[in-house]
Amino acid sequence: MKISRFFALPALLAAALVAPAMVVEAEHTSNWAVLVCTSRFWFNYRHLANVLSIYRTVKRLGIPDSQIILMLPDDMACNPRNAFPGTVYSNADRAVDLYGDNIEVDYRGYEVTVENFIRLLTDRVGDEMPRSKRLLTDDRSNILVYMTGHGGNEFLKFQDAEEIGAFDLADAFEQMWEKKRYNEILFMIDTCQANTMYSKLYSPNIIATGSSELDQSSYSHHADNDIGVAVIDRYTYYTLEFLENEVRGTSSKKTLGDLFDSFTFEKIHSNAGVRYDLFPGGEDAARHRLVTDFFGNVQNVEVDGSQNTTLLEEDLLSLSRTIADLHHKAEEEEVALTKNKTVGEAATQPRTQFAKPLTDENWWTKKILGATAVAGCALLWGIGSYLEGPGR
Amino acid sequence: MSLPQPPGDDGAAKSPGPAAGAETVAASSGPQAKKQPPPEKPSDVRRRSRIILSFWLIVLCLGLPIWWQTTSIYRADLPLHEMLEWADGKACRPVFPLRINIQADSLQDQEAQNLLRLTQHALDDLNDFSGHHLRLQLSPPPGHPPESSDRESALTIRLVPGDTATASLDPHEPVLDITYPPNAIPTATSSSSSLATYVAGQLRSTFAEEQATISYLLSTSSMPSESRPLGLSPESAESLAKRATRSLKYAPTYHLTFSLFTSGPLPSSWDIGAAIADYMKPVLTVLSPIHNFTIDTQVQLYATPGVPNEVLNKEDLSSFVNAAEWPLSPSIGGAPTINFVVFVGNQTIAGERAESEHANTGESAAHSWLIPQWGTIYLLPLPDGTAHLSSAALKQPLLTFTSHLLSLLGAPRSGSLPLRLSTLGRIRSADLLLRASSTLGSLARLALALPSISIPSSVADGVSTTMLHLRRACETLGGAEGLAHARVAEAEAERAFFEKSMVGQLYFPDEHKIAVYLPLLGPVAVPLVMGLINELRAWRRRRRERRERGRGKKME
Repeated sequence: MKISRFFALPALLAAALVAPAMVVEAEHTSNWAVLVCTSRFWFNYRHLANVLSIYRTVKRLGIPDSQIILMLPDDMACNPRNAFPGTVYSNADRAVDLYGDNIEVDYRGYEVTVENFIRLLTDRVGDEMPRSKRLLTDDRSNILVYMTGHGGNEFLKFQDAEEIGAFDLADAFEQMWEKKRYNEILFMIDTCQANTMYSKLYSPNIIATGSSELDQSSYSHHADNDIGVAVIDRYTYYTLEFLENEVRGTSSKKTLGDLFDSFTFEKIHSNAGVRYDLFPGGEDAARHRLVTDFFGNVQNVEVDGSQNTTLLEEDLLSLSRTIADLHHKAEEEEVALTKNKTVGEAATQPRTQFAKPLTDENWWTKKILGATAVAGCALLWGIGSYLEGPGR
Repeated sequence: MSLPQPPGDDGAAKSPGPAAGAETVAASSGPQAKKQPPPEKPSDVRRRSRIILSFWLIVLCLGLPIWWQTTSIYRADLPLHEMLEWADGKACRPVFPLRINIQADSLQDQEAQNLLRLTQHALDDLNDFSGHHLRLQLSPPPGHPPESSDRESALTIRLVPGDTATASLDPHEPVLDITYPPNAIPTATSSSSSLATYVAGQLRSTFAEEQATISYLLSTSSMPSESRPLGLSPESAESLAKRATRSLKYAPTYHLTFSLFTSGPLPSSWDIGAAIADYMKPVLTVLSPIHNFTIDTQVQLYATPGVPNEVLNKEDLSSFVNAAEWPLSPSIGGAPTINFVVFVGNQTIAGERAESEHANTGESAAHSWLIPQWGTIYLLPLPDGTAHLSSAALKQPLLTFTSHLLSLLGAPRSGSLPLRLSTLGRIRSADLLLRASSTLGSLARLALALPSISIPSSVADGVSTTMLHLRRACETLGGAEGLAHARVAEAEAERAFFEKSMVGQLYFPDEHKIAVYLPLLGPVAVPLVMGLINELRAWRRRRRERRERGRGKKME
């Protein structure tokens, strides 16, 4: 172990030297988080608490609510069994109320479905979907995808009714990559046999991590005796522990490597896995990504220089004023010209508006089809009764 | 069907069959001893085979097609080959023919023609990027009315005699004023002229930034390498990459949000309407051919920034916005939002102040910073107790916002304003063209990669509309029409790609299909298949019997 570390050092140094050049290329300008809980009912309290704790952390690190998609299939705060109504805690000390008063759930209850999740990722939504429920990312966006719930070998159960397969997820990510909807993705999953879920991914620029290997369970950390159920899972608990203790603010320089190294079997009771091979630069590059590249909202800003730009700006303003005036004048002239030309024509062309059926796709064809079907049925009945008649 | 007759019947006593006799003789001699049913009538046999045949006919002729029809996925025919050609840039080489008028009223026609020819030569020699082509033409004398093509010209060069060769851009119009010394006019026979070289050099430097931007766009897309420029210096490539990072994705409409955040109770009102009308409206008007803007404003008191420090380092600036508490994302309408924040508090920016002190420029510290693709924050220091922000106090912030708006929209930094705007139009049309092409390519690759995804006919319609407009945009690239077509093409391509009904299909492995079909089809299939097999066996047996009988007859 020691020796391999020793050999790894030059490689790390080389990566650190190479890193700045790559950062220029892969600079991101926005951070998004998709936080998904997939299980409902009271005894799954811990899954909702997992998601809400991650939600709180990414918000603390600066991702605005408009860039967090939170999917909660159930409302633990208002569950009648909740001894502390209106609150959700992820720790038995009950120090932090995760529900708080400033929480924006985007998909709630029965809206949390596989279809909606895939629609969200691929942005195949109708015009009626508000902007706050859409993942409006582009090729400069880093996305954190966190999922928790009950999983199995290559699937994750959604709400006891359906499941998402590892292939579905991989295809959704591929569609996102094709459409340049992300710069980099950190995929985290805390379920039983979680590592199987990212095994089928094939799109580039993804770092994936999961809580447990094939045939391993993911365990809860501890229960709160007053609430009466387990309140958080081990993997999420230790992720949060790292984020809260080591990543105090957005200026933190902790890397994903540090985070992944903090997962040990003693703590999590299962083998947390990490997948680096999809990331350009492999393990080294991925491990050197800052934690805040995914959990925070940090961009390179451009500070304005000295004050002599103000002169330029005023020039700009006066110029645009005159140009606008010129445009205005030209337009007026043009309008006057066209008015003179078309004064006679306009009067003779009254605009008629036709009434249109709401769905105008081959309305007549459908009508004819229906009529034919009815006529056919009637004919059949007629023939039948005719044939029956002579027999009697 | 012939029913076996009950044993205790009268008929059995009247006509004892051979089987009944056998039963009494050898009760323990095996299956032959069983009572055999009477032989079937040939008409019954025929009827049974017809029944089985009709069952199979229904299954094969009716059931199978219906099953096939109802479970197959509709996939409209997409012109995949053409789509991929667009994505690879084989369908269209983006060429920007820029027409440049030369206005030389003081020159003889012959002289002017000659100068034009030489300058064009010089330009062609300088130009290393075929996608961006400058074409010179003589503008008609001022007496004639301007033709329609005159409007399309990107720049007019006004040649005026003077003492030395100078060049300056007219700030109000896309006009390059060039003065030339009287002896610089080339003679009809000369093959080179210093004036022509000078004009060509000036033109090239005027369009250098645009050329670099467009070639950068092409190089980051998947266009073939032949139309790429030969050399982009690393630092210019880096600055271009920075600009590409900064500028927002094209949208026909942007939503501007002006927010006043104050750390205390004051100021509680601002004259933002008048300030916008005074300091920003003109620029918005000028931009209106390319973008629309909607505006809203808000004031929030007792706003705490994300960083509590009084002196802000560069790292603090990116986390200054308190995303959790500041209501900065109104999600009004479908347009992307650009944020302009005025923050009244006692924070200052650290690094820049030190620098400016170094330069002895007194109080001029940086007040504002730009967050790429997001907007601008301006720190406004105010004397205590100011309750109302007048329009004059907002002048500086709004001027900063205006210039940042231009750079957020991706306008080039150099050149006169009219030129910058026309360049912005060209850059945007190139950008849209490339984006629509790459969306087509994505859709085509997706259709190939996911055979189980359904493709409704609206997608095919969208694709054909996109390609129609792309073709037109490609033909009219550089003008306003090209931009309009590129805009439609991009919108249609996006609509086709994000077709809502293209998602329903989930991954369905073959084991799942067996699990679904087996409980249904298994019980149905068993009697069907067994009946068929039995029927075939009986038919073979009958044939054999017939043959044997025929042989037996011959033997007799």
